[in-house]
Order: sequence, then C-alpha cells, then structure tokens
Amino acid sequence: MDNHFGSHLSVVVDLSPAQWHRAAADRDSPLAVDAFVSQLLAFLNAHIALKHENSLAVFAAFPGKSVMLYASTDPPDRPTPIDPNSYPPFKRLDSTVTARITAQLAADIHPEEPSALVGAITKALCCLSCSSRHCESNLLFLPDINRLSLGHDEASDPRILVLSVSPDLATSYIPIMNSIFSAQKLKITIDACQIFGPDTVFLQQAAHLTGGSYLYLDRRDALLQYLIMSFLPPPPIRKVLAVPTQDRIDFRAACFCHKNIVDIGSCAQSAYPSSASPCPSVPPVEQSSPSKHYSVSMLPVRRPAPQHQTVAGEYTPVSSSSEWDPGHQRI
Amino acid sequence: MPPKHIDDMDIDSDYSDISIELGNISKGRNRKGKATDKRKQDKGKAKAKEQAYTWEASFTRSWDTVQEDEAGSLQTSVEDLMARGRRRRLLAPASAIRRTIIRHLILILDLSSAMMDRDMRPTRFDLMLQYAREFITEWFDQNPLGQIGVVGMRAGLGERIGEMSGNPQEVLKSISDRIKLEPTGEPSLQNAIEIACGTMSHLPTHSSREILIIFGSLTTCDPGNIHDTLESCFKSKVRISVVALAAEMKICRDLCDKTGGQFGVAMNEGHFKDLLFELVPPPAQRAITRTAGTGTTNPAADLMMMGFPTRLPDASPRSLCVCHSEMKSQGFLCPRCLSKVCDVPTDCDICGLMIVSSPHLARSYHHLFPVKPYDAVQNESDILEGSTACHACARPFPTKAAPAKEGLSPVGRYRCPDCHNDFCSECDVFVHDVVHCCPGCGK
Ligand SMILES: [Zn+2]
Ligand SMILES: [Zn+2]
Ligand SMILES: [Zn+2]
Ligand SMILES: [Zn+2]
Ligand SMILES: [Zn+2]
Repeated sequence: MDNHFGSHLSVVVDLSPAQWHRAAADRDSPLAVDAFVSQLLAFLNAHIALKHENSLAVFAAFPGKSVMLYASTDPPDRPTPIDPNSYPPFKRLDSTVTARITAQLAADIHPEEPSALVGAITKALCCLSCSSRHCESNLLFLPDINRLSLGHDEASDPRILVLSVSPDLATSYIPIMNSIFSAQKLKITIDACQIFGPDTVFLQQAAHLTGGSYLYLDRRDALLQYLIMSFLPPPPIRKVLAVPTQDRIDFRAACFCHKNIVDIGSCAQSAYPSSASPCPSVPPVEQSSPSKHYSVSMLPVRRPAPQHQTVAGEYTPVSSSSEWDPGHQRI
Repeated sequence: MPPKHIDDMDIDSDYSDISIELGNISKGRNRKGKATDKRKQDKGKAKAKEQAYTWEASFTRSWDTVQEDEAGSLQTSVEDLMARGRRRRLLAPASAIRRTIIRHLILILDLSSAMMDRDMRPTRFDLMLQYAREFITEWFDQNPLGQIGVVGMRAGLGERIGEMSGNPQEVLKSISDRIKLEPTGEPSLQNAIEIACGTMSHLPTHSSREILIIFGSLTTCDPGNIHDTLESCFKSKVRISVVALAAEMKICRDLCDKTGGQFGVAMNEGHFKDLLFELVPPPAQRAITRTAGTGTTNPAADLMMMGFPTRLPDASPRSLCVCHSEMKSQGFLCPRCLSKVCDVPTDCDICGLMIVSSPHLARSYHHLFPVKPYDAVQNESDILEGSTACHACARPFPTKAAPAKEGLSPVGRYRCPDCHNDFCSECDVFVHDVVHCCPGCGK
C-alpha cells in the first residue's frame, strides 16, 4: 500500500448534450453541466494532489465521437498563464479540460447521436497499454508482444472511472463487453457512476467483472462528495474502507430482436461473424416446444422481471450452407 | 515450369551426340539436383530465413536472437515482431466463417521417454508443461464456455490425467504436479485417442469435439490398427490436431488431414508456442457438420439449452450449494430447478442444465465480430490533414518516414477502413489482439 508509485486514474466523462439538458431540468435533483464540470475538476485536482506521482487522463464521450481532454504525460499546449492564486498543475489541468470541452462543443456535433462511450473507454485502455508497454520496454524486453500483461505494473493500480449520464445502448453491448474483458485481462479496475438516467446494466457488469464499484447517484447535488468518498481512494485502500457494493447483478439475458427476458434459452453452438446484427430474421416463435426457442444474442436484463419461462427469440443464421466454404477450414 | 523445360532441352541438345544412356543419367542427375533444390526452397519457405532447427543451432537464448540496431535500440526488433503479427492477421480470411462457441478439447500430452530430450530447453517435457499451462489459460480466456480434458501417453498406455472440465483452475491443477507426470516408456497414439474419444462420446454429435496431441516421439506402439481408430474419429467428427516436436510422421499427418485438424512440426521453442496458440481461436466449422442434417436448415440441431442464473447477493442467508455441499451465502441460482451453484459457467448438478452468465456468452462471441485489419499508410501524401497523433493513445506519430518494410507503414500510421482514423502500430496490435473493438468507430 505504501509504495513510491503513484496511482493512475483515467476518467471517462459522458458529455451528451441532450442528456445533460434533461439532467439540468430534472425536478427532484437538478445538475447542470457547468456545475458538474466544476465538481469534476475539484475531484481531479484532489487526485493529483494526493500524491506527487499520481497520473491522470481524462476522456470525453460526445455524441458520435470521443476525445482525450487531458493527460498528465502530455506536454502543455501553451505556457499556462501564471496565476498567483492557484497551484500551477491545477491551473493547467483546469484550463486544458475546459478549453477542450468548449472547443469540442463549439465544433459541429449531432446531438441526436448516442454518446461514444465505448470509443472513450477503448481509448483509455489503449493509453494504459501504451504507457505500460513503454515503461516495460525500458525495464526488460519481452519478445512476446501478445502478452500485454500489466502484472509488474500492479503497483500503479490503473483504473478507469466512467461518469455516465446515458442509458445503455443495445448495439454497443458486444464492443463494451470486449473492452470490459480486456480491462479484466490487463487487471484494470473499472468504476462506474451513473449520474443521471436509468441504471445501466453494462456498467454494472463492468464494475462487477473488474472488481470496481458501481454507484447510482440519487442526490446529484452531492456529486463531489460521492466522488471523493467512493472513487478517490485507490483499490488497495478501498479494501479497508466500506465502499458501496452491488448486491444484485442480473445475469439473465434477452434476445436482441424482442428484448424478451430469457431464463432458459437455447443458444446456437456456432455462428457466422457478420457486421449486421446477429438477429436478422424473426420467424414466428413457437411457444409449444421450448427446445425450439433460442436466443443467440444476449442483452443483459435490467431488473428482475416476472417469470418468463420459454420466451426466447429465434435466430436463423444469415448465411445458408452454400456460403460455407470448405477451403476456409484452416484459420 | 517453363524454365525447367528449357533446362531439359538444353541438356538434351548438349549431350545429344553422346549415348542415350548417358543422356538418361545426366537427366536423372539433373532431376535429382532439382528435387533437392526444391526441398531446400520448401524448407526455406516453412521457416524464417537463417533460422535453424533447434538441434542444428548452437546453444542460444531468446535474448541472443534479439538484435540491437545501429543506434543500440531494440525498437527495430520489436517492429519486426509486430510486422509478423500484422501479416498473420492479414492472412486470416475476412469472409464469413462459421465458428464454434461451445468447444470440447482433449489435450493429449506425450509422456514418453522421448520427451526427456534436451533439444528444447530445458527439456521437451518441461517446455511442454509450461506451454500447456499458458495454452489452457489463454484457451479458456477465449472460449469461456469450452471444456478441456487431459490425457497422457506413457508406457504404452493412455491415461486420464484430468477429467473434462470447464474450470481452468481444475485443468491447470491436473497438470501442475511435475513428478506425477514423469515421462517413461513408449507412447501409444491409438490408446490415447481411444480414451479421448471415449471421454467425449457422451457429447451430442453436433457439439465440437477436438483432440490436440503434443507429440515428441517418433514411434507409437499400438495394440491394433490405428487406421481403424482414425476412421472412427472421422466418423464421429472428432477433429485431431498434432504439434510434433521431433519430425513429421505420416500417421500424424494423416490424422490431421483426414479429420480437418492442423499439423505442425515445431522447429524451436518459439515456433512450438506459435503452433499451440494457433489452436486457441475456435476453428472454422467443418462443412460436414452443416450438411449432416436432413439438408434443410434445421437450426435446432445446432442448439444447446442454456440457463441464465440469478446471482445471490453477498448478504443473503447462507445455504448449501449443490456442487460442493458447502454453506455459503453467495452463489448462483439455476433458473430451472432453483438449486444453488458456486460458480458459472457450469452444468447444474441437479438438472444438468448448462448455466452461463450473459458476459460469458458475450465473450464467446467476440470472434464473430472481428475488427477489420487496419491498412498501413504507405505514402506521406496519404496522411490526412490535421492528424498528428494516434487517434487512440494520442502519442504523436513520427515526423520523418522510416525505410519501408513489408507490412509496415513507413510513416507509422495504420488506418481503420471504417472510421478512417490513424493509429500507431502499438495500438493497432492492441486493438486487434486484445480489445477487439476499434476506438474510432466503437465497434
Ligand atoms: Zn428475439
Ligand atoms: Zn459449491
Ligand atoms: Zn438445475
Ligand atoms: Zn496509439
Ligand atoms: Zn474504426
């Protein structure tokens, strides 16, 4: 716990204008985006103030695109104006983040598009892997590039904090799961905080699978307190703290075509890769014989629902056997 | 082909006045020379250029093979390795392939005395155990719904070392004891394959059944005709792959070719590992499986019942689990019989339903949606306006072009064909090998 390494934090911020507009207009507990950004900056400052070696990267997910807002390894764009009333690293962080957010929002974005949360998380992973590889190659040479284990780097406890306001997006399920699994492989903790909107099952599963914590914000005006209490301490210190845990994670699945909850379904043992959605056609569902119902795609279910026994979607592989080419037996 | 023809013609005309017999001899000799030439070429194709078989080379260590460039940096060697990975990825067919999600694999380890050879360091046996462990870990990582069993070939017998299991820890435990696996005697391919087939015989015919043999010996002592075994494997659609450590054996090659598996002879430690890890991603499914049905598309034959459990909260009242009979508060409830199991994926001990969680299923599907290979940007003129840093890690691209190399971009940029963003070579490898999701397009 008491090491001379800093801890690395990547923060992924969901900045969907539409959702933030709704959050600001919320009747019970409104939170405007400018209030959010100032609380976020206070939290980020707290992280770099904790320890001199702590590193930080900030990513933002805008509708349809994701950008890096700040990285502590980046050289400053331009010399930051000296302000006698503020600590220079704080000043640099604050001005860079706000300037880039303003620049991105000024550029043309299509607010109706969903937030590119997956892209932002993937970028955070790429950055972590690159920086770990760079210190790795300085330490010792590992010829096997396929083994991107951060094992030796455990001291720095890389983690990703996702601050989301958007609901789950069904189409991003597979990509988001892929990034979660690679985070798991690289021993990166994913913390998630849903600030507004419905609970997100994807982020719940992300936190569960990587050993992080998931938090649903009830009192949005207390955001900074939530952030500092539950997400500021690095994972080794959290072991001795009582951080919020998830009680119930639903692992049931639903098919993509009907979003029906499936307790028991049949699953194709093999499938074709396709760029299209894996549920291209929906033949009539036969309720009589359960063995004929199956779901190939599994969208996690939001909440425990009333008993569904045999409901499942049908999935027919797009390609017929004629598309199968025996010449491709070998990979 | 044409040059060969001309060669023969030349020789014929040169020696035409000498007796026919002599001509024949010279022709024969000539052909022989060509044959050796050809063999040499084949050999050269099969392995990287000045790379020798392990037993031909003097004692080398992996760090000896890494060369520093003029500037004393290791960067070029790293780049070569990356280029190799890139080329391998590009070779993979991009068209639709049916891939198996639920796999059953029997790993047959050669535990005969031939495994004590030291041509691979420290010994073939130790190296095999080490790589087998890495293989199993990686295999379960990529095929979370699969199952592995382990069979050993020792003293003319096949012996069951690890039962078929979907839990990587259990499989690893079965091969963890080096002393218990001490190699002796002759191997028996037939016995081991019979045991493996027996272990998998209860599986439904449409499920994927594979055998992977790591074979270090050059002989096999079998009680019967191994071709009968091969025939029955072919009939029951068991796919056999062999990684040989010594040399190619006809029977091993036959086993693989006939059942649709892969055969490879390991030239050195690194190649051995490459051959093993090539078998980690799910194989494309054989056409036979598809057409074995009635001819009409009968997807039901391809299906497997699965249950999605509910995870009990950590604070729930303690109860007995059905798998270990232990009092525990956490666990998963089988959706069909509501009994509690400790871990997923597993088969319910009470009703036999396969219990998986949706993340497991999702993990198995990532092969189905591969990220398209990135194109190496070849010319400086192709660089898009305003892109100075990698789109993923924001590391700046090199400003001056490096000498061109096959498969590598001289300007260090790799472009996604979908979102047209440029990535650095490290992110290219990372995206395709680990994340399976393009940071630019988010899919
Ligand atoms: Zn459906
Ligand atoms: Zn148990
Ligand atoms: Zn059951
Ligand atoms: Zn990069
Ligand atoms: Zn892309």
